[in-house]
Amino acid sequence: MIKRVEVNYRGVFQKNLGKYIGGDIVQIASRMGKVAFSNGRYSDAPERNGIPCKYFAFVSPDLSEEELEAECGAKLDIDEADVSVVVDDAMVKGVEPWGWHGVRAINEKVREKGCLLVTSQHSHDQLLKFIPKRPFSWRLATVDSPASLAGLWVYKDDLTREHVLGAIAAADPGIISIEAVEAYLLEKTKEKHRAEAARAAYDATLRTIRVVKPNEGAEWHHEIPRLPTWKEFESGGVVVPAVPRGFKMGPRGQNRNEQFLRGTTKSQRPVIRFDLCIKCTLCWYDCPDECFDPTDDGLFDVNYEACVGCHKCADVCPVPECIVMVDELKFDSDASPWEHHKKDPEGYIKWAEEKKGLERLHFPHVTGLGREIRQGKYVPPKQDKSGAGAAPKA
Amino acid sequence: MATVAERTNVWAKEVLLNGCQAVAQGVKLANVDVIAAYPIRPYTEVMDALSKLIADGEFDSEYIVADSEHSQFEIVKHASSVGARAFGGSSGTGWMYGFEALVVTATDRLPPLFVVGNRALDDPGAFGVEHNDALALRDMGWLLCWASTAQEALEHVLIGYRIAEDSRVLMPMALAMDGAFLTHSQHMIKVPTQEAVNKFLPPFNLGKRVLHPDNPVSIAPQVNEDWVMELRRQNWEAARRARQVIPEVYKSFNDLFGPRYANPFFDEFMCEDAEVVLVGLGAVKMPAQTAVRRMREQGKKVGYVNLRWFRPFPTEQLRETLGRMKGVGVIDRNFAHGSPDNGGIVVQDIRSALYPLTKRPVVTDFIGGLGGRDMSIQDCIRMLEITFDAASGKQGDELVTWIGLRE
Repeated sequence: MIKRVEVNYRGVFQKNLGKYIGGDIVQIASRMGKVAFSNGRYSDAPERNGIPCKYFAFVSPDLSEEELEAECGAKLDIDEADVSVVVDDAMVKGVEPWGWHGVRAINEKVREKGCLLVTSQHSHDQLLKFIPKRPFSWRLATVDSPASLAGLWVYKDDLTREHVLGAIAAADPGIISIEAVEAYLLEKTKEKHRAEAARAAYDATLRTIRVVKPNEGAEWHHEIPRLPTWKEFESGGVVVPAVPRGFKMGPRGQNRNEQFLRGTTKSQRPVIRFDLCIKCTLCWYDCPDECFDPTDDGLFDVNYEACVGCHKCADVCPVPECIVMVDELKFDSDASPWEHHKKDPEGYIKWAEEKKGLERLHFPHVTGLGREIRQGKYVPPKQDKSGAGAAPKA
Repeated sequence: MATVAERTNVWAKEVLLNGCQAVAQGVKLANVDVIAAYPIRPYTEVMDALSKLIADGEFDSEYIVADSEHSQFEIVKHASSVGARAFGGSSGTGWMYGFEALVVTATDRLPPLFVVGNRALDDPGAFGVEHNDALALRDMGWLLCWASTAQEALEHVLIGYRIAEDSRVLMPMALAMDGAFLTHSQHMIKVPTQEAVNKFLPPFNLGKRVLHPDNPVSIAPQVNEDWVMELRRQNWEAARRARQVIPEVYKSFNDLFGPRYANPFFDEFMCEDAEVVLVGLGAVKMPAQTAVRRMREQGKKVGYVNLRWFRPFPTEQLRETLGRMKGVGVIDRNFAHGSPDNGGIVVQDIRSALYPLTKRPVVTDFIGGLGGRDMSIQDCIRMLEITFDAASGKQGDELVTWIGLRE
C-alpha cells in the first residue's frame, strides 16, 4: 500500500515550507517503521515568486524502498493523492505551474475519500465556491490560519508546519499518526508548544473535516491543452507566437504573452478606485507584467488574468487608497473593472470599497516576516471638475 | 575483514538528505581541501549544501565561487595539481562549457572528483535528466560512473576519490547522478562515521609531481606530435590498471561497511537464470527492477543489469554476463545523433563488447526518459517484452524503439 501526500505551495514564499513538510512526513513515517521518501515536482520553478508548485511525500507500510521509489519516484507528478495540502487558499481557484500546461483544478489529484487540506480563514462553503466538483465524494479540511508567506530563502516559523502535520494525521492516520508527529516534534525541537500546536490542529481537523458529496462544488472551465506529437510542430525547437508591437486603447488592449498568463500566481489582486486616479501612469509604467491597459479617458484598466499580484502598482501609486491589494478569494470574476466603473461609477465605488474593507494586508519586502495587517481608510468619491477621472459624462 | 559488530560502528547516523546533500556529506567526509562552485540546476544544490556545511562550521574547506564553469573546472584542476583533494561539479550545458578544462585535467593525470547532476543539453532551458552531458566524457580519459541511489552517491564520493587517487590510476573521476529523480529526492540516508571513512580513504598524495615552491616543477609544458601518442598510451595504461584497482577498492569498502557491492562494475538483478535482460544507468534501476520482479511472478526469465561503471568499460565482465542471454535491451537515457541505427551511446559500446563472442545475444535499444520524461514500471515491462520479441526474431527491422514519445 502506498500513501501519497502533495503539498501545493507558492514559489519562493513557501519554498522551504513545502520542502520541510515533505521531509517531516518522511522522518515521522520512518520513526513509525514505514518506508518513505519525498521529492518536489521537478518541472516546477520554486525560485519564481508565487508560482504554484508541489512537493510530494510517499509512505508505505509494506513495500520495499525500491518498490516505493519505482512506483512514485520515477514519475514527475502523481496520479492521485490521499491528502492534497494547500498552504495558500488562493490556490483553490486553480493552479497553473511554471513548467506545466493549463490551469489545473486544486483537487485534481484528490482521490475518492481523499482529503483536500487548506490553510484558510475562509469557510468550507466559501472555498467550495471555487473548488470544482468531482464525480465521487472527498473530504475538505481547513487549518485556521492565513497563508504562511516568507521571503526568498526564508522560512517563516509561524507553526503552519506543525499545524499541517497534525491535520494530516487527522485526515489520514495511515500516513502518520498524531502520536508520532508529537514525538518527532518534541525530540527534534525540544519545544513542547510545537507538539501542542500539532495536536490542536489534529483535534480541530477531526471536529471540522467535512465530506464533500459527489458533484458538489464549482463548475470548471479550464481545459488542459493537448501537447502536439513530434510531427505536429515546426522544426527548430518550440517556437511560440511572441508579443506583437503596439497596443489598442481600452480593456484587453495591451499585447501580452497569451501563452502563459500566470494569473494563478496571485494571492491578492489590486482593486482600483478610478475616481481617485490622478493619471500619473506609474501603475502602467511599473507593472512588470504589462497588466494595465490605457483607456481613451486617460485611465488604466487592469487585466486580472495576467496580474500576478506582485503589489508593484499599489506600491508606486501616489494616491492613498487608489490602488489597494485585496484577498483574491473575495473575487469570482476576472472581468474588466474599468468597464464596471464606466457603466456604474457609484456602484463601482461601493463594490470596490466593500471588497477592500478597512484591513490592509502588507507583506514587508525582504524581511521574511510574512504579512502584517494595517488599517486603511475610506476616501469619499472624488468630485473632479473635469469629470475625466470620475463619472463618465452622460 | 571487519566483523559485523565492528561494522555497526561505521555508520554514524541516519538522516534525511536529498541526493545533492548526500554528495555534500560525502565531500565533507572525504575532507576535501578545495571546492570550486558555479551554479547550474540540478548540481546547484550540491554547492548550496556544501556552503551551508562550511558556514555552519561543520566542515572546513576552501570554497571558491567561480565566474563560470570553465574557471570553476580550472580552479579544481589547479588545486589538484598542488596536491589538494579537490571537488567540482556541474550539469548539462554548464558541464559542456567547461570541457576544455575537463579534457586537460585528464591528460595532466590529476584526480579531482566531479559530480554531474545529469541534465539535458538544453533545448530551451530543459533541466530534466538526460545522460548526454556526462557521456561526453567517455573518450577523454576520465573515470565515469553512475550512482543509482542517493546512498550510493554518498558512498561513491569516497570510493571515487580512493580509485582516482590511487597512484596506479591518477585519473579524474566523474560521478553522474540523475537530475531530479536522484538529486532532488529526500531519503533517509546512512552517513558513515569519520573514523570509518579515514580508515577507508587515505590522504591524497600526488607524490613528486606536486606543484609547490619547495618542489619547483612545470606542469603540462607544450607537447605536439613528439609526445601526444605516448601520453595517450599512458592514459590508456592507467585506465587498464583502474580495471584492477576498482575491484580492490570495492572489496575494501565491503569489508569495512558491509557487503554492499557484489559486483563493482554493475549490479546483476535476477540475472542468474535470465534469458532476457535490460541494461541501464542510474535511477531507472528502480522501475526496471520492479518490472523484472513482476514479470518473474508470471514466470518470465528476465533480469536487470544496473551498469555502474561506464569508463573504464567493464568489457570482460559484461561479455560474461550478457553473453549468457538470448536478448539484451539497452535503456539509453541519451541520444547519439546519426550513430549506427540512430540509437543511443550505451548500446554502441555494449554491442561492440559482445561482437567478438561466437554466441551473441540479440541486442536492441531503447531511447527513453529524455529531458527528464518519466520511465515507469509499465514502460520497463514493455521494454522487456520488446526485448523478448527481438530475441525470438519477432521484432522486424527496428533496432531502436523510442519509449514515451508522443507520436
